Amino acid sequence: MTRYPTFTRRGLMATGAAGLGVAALGLTPRAARAQSSVALQLSWLHSSQFGGSYIAQSRGWWAEEGLDVALLPGGPNAPVEPPVVSGTALVGISAADYTAAAVEQGAPFKILGVAMQKNPFVIASLPANPVNTPADMVGKRIGMALANTPVLQALCTLNGVDIGGIEIVPTQYSAQPMLAGEVDCLLCWETDLPVAMAIEGIESVTMLMADFGYALHSQTYIATEDSLANRRAELVGLMRGEVRGWNAYREDTDAAAALTLELYPDAGLDLPTQQMQAARQVPLMFSDLTDANGFGWWTDDTVAANIETLALLGRTVTPDLWDRSILEEVHGA
Amino acid sequence: MSAVAGYAAPATGGSGRGTAIGLLLVVLGWELAARALVGAFVLAAPSQVLAWLIENRGLMGRALAETLGNAAAGFVLGNLAALALAGIALAFPASQRIVTGVALVVFCLPLVATGPILRVIFGPGDGPQIVLAALAVYYTTLIPLLVGMRAAPATWFDLIASYGRGRVSALIHVRLMASLPYLFAGLQIAAPAAFLGAMVGEFTGAERGMGVLTIRAMRALDVEMTWALATVATAVAVAAYLAVGAIARRVLQDAPPIILAPPRAEGAEAGIGRLLLSLAGVAVAILVLWWGAIAVFDLNPFFAKGPQDVARALIWAPNAAMARASLGAALGETAVFLLPGYLAGLAAGAGLAILFVLAPAVAGTAMPLAIALRSVPIVTTAPLIVLLLGRGALGTIVLVAVMVFFPTLVACIHGLKQAPGQVIDVFDSYAAGRLQRLIRVRIPAMLPAFFAAARMGVPASVLAVTVVEWLATGAGLGSMMAISASVSDYNLLWSAVALTAALSALGYAGVGLIEVRILRIYAPEQLT
Repeated sequence: MTRYPTFTRRGLMATGAAGLGVAALGLTPRAARAQSSVALQLSWLHSSQFGGSYIAQSRGWWAEEGLDVALLPGGPNAPVEPPVVSGTALVGISAADYTAAAVEQGAPFKILGVAMQKNPFVIASLPANPVNTPADMVGKRIGMALANTPVLQALCTLNGVDIGGIEIVPTQYSAQPMLAGEVDCLLCWETDLPVAMAIEGIESVTMLMADFGYALHSQTYIATEDSLANRRAELVGLMRGEVRGWNAYREDTDAAAALTLELYPDAGLDLPTQQMQAARQVPLMFSDLTDANGFGWWTDDTVAANIETLALLGRTVTPDLWDRSILEEVHGA
Repeated sequence: MSAVAGYAAPATGGSGRGTAIGLLLVVLGWELAARALVGAFVLAAPSQVLAWLIENRGLMGRALAETLGNAAAGFVLGNLAALALAGIALAFPASQRIVTGVALVVFCLPLVATGPILRVIFGPGDGPQIVLAALAVYYTTLIPLLVGMRAAPATWFDLIASYGRGRVSALIHVRLMASLPYLFAGLQIAAPAAFLGAMVGEFTGAERGMGVLTIRAMRALDVEMTWALATVATAVAVAAYLAVGAIARRVLQDAPPIILAPPRAEGAEAGIGRLLLSLAGVAVAILVLWWGAIAVFDLNPFFAKGPQDVARALIWAPNAAMARASLGAALGETAVFLLPGYLAGLAAGAGLAILFVLAPAVAGTAMPLAIALRSVPIVTTAPLIVLLLGRGALGTIVLVAVMVFFPTLVACIHGLKQAPGQVIDVFDSYAAGRLQRLIRVRIPAMLPAFFAAARMGVPASVLAVTVVEWLATGAGLGSMMAISASVSDYNLLWSAVALTAALSALGYAGVGLIEVRILRIYAPEQLT
């Protein structure tokens, strides 16, 4: 009982030492190419949600830019902002509302790129009692984290629905309360709980909030003003790899899902779920706008729409929260 | 002694059958419950869990090795820290209240706040998982250890003194030996706590481990995987508990000594004055550590707020009144769950310990249940309890009670065993009944351990209530801390952390005041 873990830890240490040795031997050719190590802080656990980054890494597109990129997983107790502010990560994956809140508290962040053009929030319901428009929510019970009440409030305001007519039930982030009949609908992401239900053979209806005026950039790339001023080359290299990776992701989401499982065999992922999640994510990431201008793009109009939604969420921001200079260099605009 | 050993050693003789019956009942009840709840996506039957485990043994094995390794490292580090702190407290008695006070406040720091900061300090890897496991155990070892180090007869100290030896010899030859039963009680409680700490540490951003798999399974509606994880975590915790118990039975051969200490002449006023003085001392030490940690680790002021930031946010900032009001409201919501859960947990723990003494046969059946109940990770049981008891206050209260109940039970069982054999012999020679022996000997002997558990229960219940609020109910201080971290309102987060830690410390001191009054009568040797 006490021996076994000691043995494995020792084994691990031995492997670690061997790895160090290999790294030391391999140092000479690497040093010649002057790789610089940077980290990208992801917003959640490893999954095909970040498949574009895995492609960039496994095909060596970052190495071509002279970068050795570490992909740091997130989690339920892993806010993205602290590692980016403190320099542990050069770039973090955030969302416009979280970034706006952090900037209000004094964090010197800029948004460099927008991976999800459409916000992934949906209202999910069951076909027998569906929510197809915001007005359908009246008289229903919605399961969500109380922290997201401003999100629901913003959706209601945008569509002239009285939030008082909706019963909010605080629940954990799971489809279980809806399947147990505790609530009629859920506030969740298009790419997680509805996918989980589909894999279990349960059909669900999703109403994408972005189709009803909720304009909010998600999976945005953030960096500090200091990095923008002093580490431009690394930022351009990192974003160039991201753009190439996500374009490849779009071409073959099944391959991206398979790569995710190959790279992270210990994450407890299953292929059908990852394939479905990857396929559902593409329409949120690519649009006429990105087809015309390239992955990650935005215009003054989309920023203005974001600022309006942010105002409904109680955040006051100006257009200079978005800095397109890195992306312009990547796309050669 | 043999009758006493019976309930602590369910693996031997007749009580082995009791254990088997207990296990069988658990599995049977579980299978039936799972069949009754098909379609609700909350519970998987033991047969399904077994099938999942066989199919995914590689994945589970790697996750277990990772989390168990971190938990074991944290367990060792945390207990070494507890031993060192106890040594300091006894070598320099004047420092004891400061040491325990600071240790308490550090133990009370909510995971929601410490996790991300540990991640920034350690970067990617196992650092936060190991430290959170260590933080989860050191306090539950320190307190019983301090109690045990005083549970020695005055005559033993006289003997040391008559040989012309000093405090260090007393520490090695008397106090450490006397503390062993209490140390083992602490280690038994610590084993499941270390595992939970390592799992929650993985929430701060880890690539593998059982915590990572738990998050994945719950979101994916993968009930088999969720309960397979819960089963393995429980089995590991129970195995660790039993292993520590087996070592304890090997080591602890002697019957506990009679402790006759003269009552102290000190008045109650002096006690309160000293208490206030040590509270002030603890407060100063905490402020120095708080400032010092931010400076030493060079933490960015965006997320690392010092005492002056918290004071500004709560007292003279333009929106200080609003911050105070929302903190007050959250505190009110939390208190409603916390107090009933805490008291119910204490009552259930002490009550069950006494029942085990009166009816040792029950212990063999009920003890595995009790260990399992406490060891199932709170993260997986929360939805089931919420489903059974509703989303009202009752579910949270029960979860808090479960967290408090088990350490109390273990401490009280060990405490009841500390009844001096010679005194029991006297009662035997008068043919006194079990109840007489219980009331007149065992319960008084149990009191120091009970109060140690009651004090430990304060931070444990605060930890439980904030974790449940954070992960399941979305109300109170736990939820407020999670929300303020996600929207980068670190002033509010640190204010909530400071408030939580301060109230836990005050609650602890409050229990201490009651304790002093009662132990003055039953165990004056504890009042040094």
